[in-house]
Amino acid sequence: MEHKAVNLFDVIFEGVAQYKERAEELVAKTIEEKGREAVGKLPDTAYALPVIYAITGEKLETVGDLERGLEMAAARTNRTRYLQDALDAGVAAAMYTEIIQACKYIDGKPHPEHVQGHLTDAMVRSFGVALVTQDIPGVAVIIGKHKDPEKLAEIIKSYQNKGLQTYLVGDVIDQAVEQNIKMGVELRVIPCGYDIEDVINVVSVAVRASIMFGATPPGEWIKHRIYTRDRVFAFVNVFDDWTPKIIAAGAAAIDMGFPAITETYINEVPTLLLHQPDSDKVVTTSLEARNIKIKVTEIDCPVSVSSAFEGERVRRDNMFAEFGGNRTPAWELVRTVGLSECEDHKITLHGPDIDDESFKAGEVVRLPLGIEVKVAGRAMQSDFESVLERRLHYFMNYIEGAMHVGQRNITWVRLTKEAYEAGFRLKHIGEVIYAKMLDEFGKVVDRVEVNIYTDEEEVKRLEQELARPIYNARDQRLDSLTDESVDVFYTCTLCQSFAPAHVCVVTPERLGLCGAVSWLDSKATKELDPTGPSQPIEKKGLTDERTGAYQSVNEVVAQASQGAVEEVTLYSILEDPMTSCGCFECICGIMPEANGVVIVNREFGGMTPVGMTFGELASMTGGGVQTPGFMGHGRHFIGSKKFMSAEGGVERIVWMPKELKDDVADRLNKTVKELSGIDNFTDMVCDETIATESEAVLEFLTEKGHPALNMDEIM
Amino acid sequence: MSNELLEFDVIAEALMEKASREGAETMWDRKKALKTQCGFGEQGICCRICAMGPCRVSPNPEKGPQRGICGADRDTIVARNFARMVAAGTSAHSDHARDIVHAMHLSSAEGPFKIRDEAKLRQIANEWGIEGSDTKETYELAHELAEMALLEFGKPFGTLKFLKRAPKVRQELWERENIAPRAIDQEVTTLLHSTHIGCASDYESLMRRSLRTGLSDGWGGSMIGTEFSDIMYGVPQERASESNLGVLDEESVNIVLHGHDPNLAEMVVVASKDPEMLEIAKANGAKGINVVGMCCTGNEVTMRHGIKIAGNFYQQEMAVITGAVEAVIVDVQCIFPALPNLVDHYHTRFISTSPKAKIAGDLYIEFDEHNPYETAKEVVKVAVDNYKNRDASKIEIPDLKQDTMIGYSVETTIGCLDRVVNTQVDIEGTVKPLSDLIWAGVLRGAAGIVGCNNPKTEHDYSHVTVMKELIKNDIICVTTGCAAQAAAKAGLLQLEAKELAGRGLKEACERANIPPVLHMGSCVDISRILDIVARVANERGVDISDLPVVGVAPEWMSEKAVAIASYCVGSGINTYLGIVPYVDGSENFKKLMTEGLMETTKSVFVFEKDPVVMADLIADDIEEKRKNLGI
Repeated sequence: MEHKAVNLFDVIFEGVAQYKERAEELVAKTIEEKGREAVGKLPDTAYALPVIYAITGEKLETVGDLERGLEMAAARTNRTRYLQDALDAGVAAAMYTEIIQACKYIDGKPHPEHVQGHLTDAMVRSFGVALVTQDIPGVAVIIGKHKDPEKLAEIIKSYQNKGLQTYLVGDVIDQAVEQNIKMGVELRVIPCGYDIEDVINVVSVAVRASIMFGATPPGEWIKHRIYTRDRVFAFVNVFDDWTPKIIAAGAAAIDMGFPAITETYINEVPTLLLHQPDSDKVVTTSLEARNIKIKVTEIDCPVSVSSAFEGERVRRDNMFAEFGGNRTPAWELVRTVGLSECEDHKITLHGPDIDDESFKAGEVVRLPLGIEVKVAGRAMQSDFESVLERRLHYFMNYIEGAMHVGQRNITWVRLTKEAYEAGFRLKHIGEVIYAKMLDEFGKVVDRVEVNIYTDEEEVKRLEQELARPIYNARDQRLDSLTDESVDVFYTCTLCQSFAPAHVCVVTPERLGLCGAVSWLDSKATKELDPTGPSQPIEKKGLTDERTGAYQSVNEVVAQASQGAVEEVTLYSILEDPMTSCGCFECICGIMPEANGVVIVNREFGGMTPVGMTFGELASMTGGGVQTPGFMGHGRHFIGSKKFMSAEGGVERIVWMPKELKDDVADRLNKTVKELSGIDNFTDMVCDETIATESEAVLEFLTEKGHPALNMDEIM
Repeated sequence: MSNELLEFDVIAEALMEKASREGAETMWDRKKALKTQCGFGEQGICCRICAMGPCRVSPNPEKGPQRGICGADRDTIVARNFARMVAAGTSAHSDHARDIVHAMHLSSAEGPFKIRDEAKLRQIANEWGIEGSDTKETYELAHELAEMALLEFGKPFGTLKFLKRAPKVRQELWERENIAPRAIDQEVTTLLHSTHIGCASDYESLMRRSLRTGLSDGWGGSMIGTEFSDIMYGVPQERASESNLGVLDEESVNIVLHGHDPNLAEMVVVASKDPEMLEIAKANGAKGINVVGMCCTGNEVTMRHGIKIAGNFYQQEMAVITGAVEAVIVDVQCIFPALPNLVDHYHTRFISTSPKAKIAGDLYIEFDEHNPYETAKEVVKVAVDNYKNRDASKIEIPDLKQDTMIGYSVETTIGCLDRVVNTQVDIEGTVKPLSDLIWAGVLRGAAGIVGCNNPKTEHDYSHVTVMKELIKNDIICVTTGCAAQAAAKAGLLQLEAKELAGRGLKEACERANIPPVLHMGSCVDISRILDIVARVANERGVDISDLPVVGVAPEWMSEKAVAIASYCVGSGINTYLGIVPYVDGSENFKKLMTEGLMETTKSVFVFEKDPVVMADLIADDIEEKRKNLGI
């Protein structure tokens, strides 16, 4: 077939001119209506207009600043013969679209409820770990309108099944809605908006990944585009005819290393701009274009199994069956047995299944549940059991139509009606666990056998006789694991694919700041992948016991960070604090007037007593940068005796969001009690329901007699 | 002594001073002795074709003698002189090719001449319509193909087989304009006939016949030389090497291979690894045997074996002056007759080997094509034995060498392009990715930069400057011959050189993992450039003259270069020359070359001495072609 070639650069510049016109109109109108002093930045981000910030290094905060943005974009638009200038114009297009977006957001979210639009910093940070581990192996951006909505649904589901994030721009949103595609950040299908300009929301995510995790300096665009090219595996699918605006946006994408695949022919650029008229080949073409390799595990299961379903919630109205959740007993257990005691791939259900005749149609099926996973392997160690067991939570959540909450004997599982209708039965839980266990832990696990108990007697008996003794033994082992009792710590450089200068030092009492990697995890990781991200650090050369400074730690960190960080301490947030990648669960910052620290978790969107939101606090660090006074960390670390012990420890905590405070209360109170004899410490810790203003917080602390007030000056 | 024409070469001055100190004469001494070169010769208006002359006519139409004794005017004289250069150049490439085909005719499973690339043998046999090209026994097929190729030089009827590679519209143009070349020898002979006293005087007719002879080089002699060398010695593959005089090894027996033909050189490379030779070398106190290449023999062996590149044409004397070379072994073309005198000042032995290029002085060991390995061993032995005669006080090897990537034959280049093919969209093994890059504007176009060195211009400067200017402007460069060696020494043939390229070319280099300037081989291998350009034109269904591609010879000097320029223009490629050929004496002929040919071949010669200006002209030329294509 003959394809008409065009002057590609003419098309790009035409598109940029169209964006420019719209941006100029909107800015003029907004200035007229709101005045130059009105707030012009996007909500819930510490980076104002993040894309423009990354490109130019300037934060555009007010409506008046948007005029400056227009000038900077115009300065990047120079028509010459060369690709560089065409791509620069593409970047200008991104700037115009972000300005347009800012104008649209001036009175709050401009999109209907089901459209996500702009993503908050906290959302971007929450993707961090998944992007790093390739749990999200890629990012698809679908633009336009598909001729055949059913085919579109197939494409979206195909990406979802592979764990990719899919962003929708344009009519494809409504087409996906019609096709009953469930959408939302947690399902990895994210509607950006109906205008082509809304594509900036994805660009903004990629750029913020570079700022947050890459610590790429704002204003150094070349570094940003190299970061996104090498580390954010995004690509674009354009359906229906292209327009100059789409191609101009495509130029920005190409500048960032994101290939575009078009349904309608336009001059092709190998690896970057491809023509694929066959809808059935769009997915494979796209994955190959971005060199995304999907690990395929064949699982005998009637519904999809993919990390993309991890965030799926099963609500009451759609629930077919429920286990645990205080209504029935439920537990799960992974235990090591000898090779001879384990029959590989044997899955046995002891008790009734969810389709048992005894259940009445239309009523929620409620059953007790005991899941016993027997693993055997020559390289298996009992210390790894808990690591494997924690993964059960993820494996079960990967099932489309299943929700898993909790762990051990507080397990809570729900299944949807759709899953049941698709033929999902309890043995499929066993199949998923079997396949995933071998897939992820094949180096240590040779055989897996799964027993699923639903007989109430049996579930209760085994919980007492089998599960509890093992849980207890593990707890004792964990309690005995202190930084003093072991000979090695571990590095964790898992995030270096995203934050090249960052390295975590994981100790028994200080887990990785993402909250996902404990000392035992590291130990298992080392076993699974001997040259991988977790490498042992021999504990020697203690130079300062108070701050936890070791020569060996410094040497390894200097090496693993390629010289970016030369000295870190384990227990101080003021003296050479440990760095952060950017995907931390919590951030802790000093509140000098309270002589203590506040801790904010990622989920909390409100203001804190230090005058900064989580996003703003988080932007102070991350990307492997040491910022004394700020430190990212996992939730679990809050209850550790080693938590900033150099500065006085957990008793310095003066403020936390209520949800976080409640979550960590048990462990934290126990620790404080042991250290200083104070009971119910968390009652002395302020939260947002009490106060967020500095003075009111101080008043509360004084009233409660918070111990931090009487400690040495923190600074 | 300081020589402004060598300023670009940072190691030249010290070596020239050394030569002067040691009483060794170089090209620069001789150039000086010649004083001002002959102005009539320079303008091409001196005719000594018959014995009534020499007739020197006036360059000025207003005064002085306007015609020679026979009545030939300046247009005729210039055209005939030009034609004779084309004929000589074509004969050189083609006679070289004939030797390769001869060797193939002598090949056998037992060797020493063997078929190294059977797939390519079968592919060419198939292309030429030999029945059973897939099934015939290798050497039976090789001999049949060789015979067929030998007939290309002298067949009584028909045109050359490789013309079919050109786009259909170009083949039709050749037919229409009566410039489709027939047998190679016939084209050379008939052109020489036309220039005989009392034959052609119409300068346009002479030009047309020159183009046809030139085309018999490009699509005939050179293409056969390239393709059959690949069959005999292997298709060049991407590999790393090093370049410049620093590749000479102070502790090894250094052998410099110089000339153009791979037949002897291939055997020398093998002989240099012969345990017997290595043993003698060691017994004489050397660490080993270091074979390095110079000029196009160097290109042939670097492309196929990664043999290090000592340097290009103008460095042939400098290599000897280092005092570290045991033997210079030469075959044909571009060898200074001065070398035997030069080696008298050093322990170096100079060995000529071809009856076609027996060079007076020092040693002559004739290459015996029936016992090639014996000849090779004999010459290597001369070198090895000579190691003990070194004069340590005269050794001065410049401490300069450059990492270099080489080996970009058409097949290898397509293999690199396969790296960017999305198999869901396109098939592998084509030039479509290259044409896509050009059609999208990521690459603006392509330039083939080729040719020699010439003391009329600063050595290597024009080559390197044109290349740097072009790659900066997203124009990908391919290069052969001494231009390729200039690029190698300047570091342009390494992957890192992408940093000197514009964004478009840089992206292309990064994604295909290639340098921005691709070494395609020796001067006969310019046929590879024709091949790849024809493939792109065929991919898009256009003529070669429609493509945004140019030929460039910034520092040429040999008659072969005149033949090359003629076949490039004959093929529809605008060809830029940094040295004006001997045509200034005829305004009419010059105008025909630079404008008139546009009507005949849709392409012209462009003369421009300043490489920066030349690069600008090329960029504009390329943009004009793009405009006409609507891209």
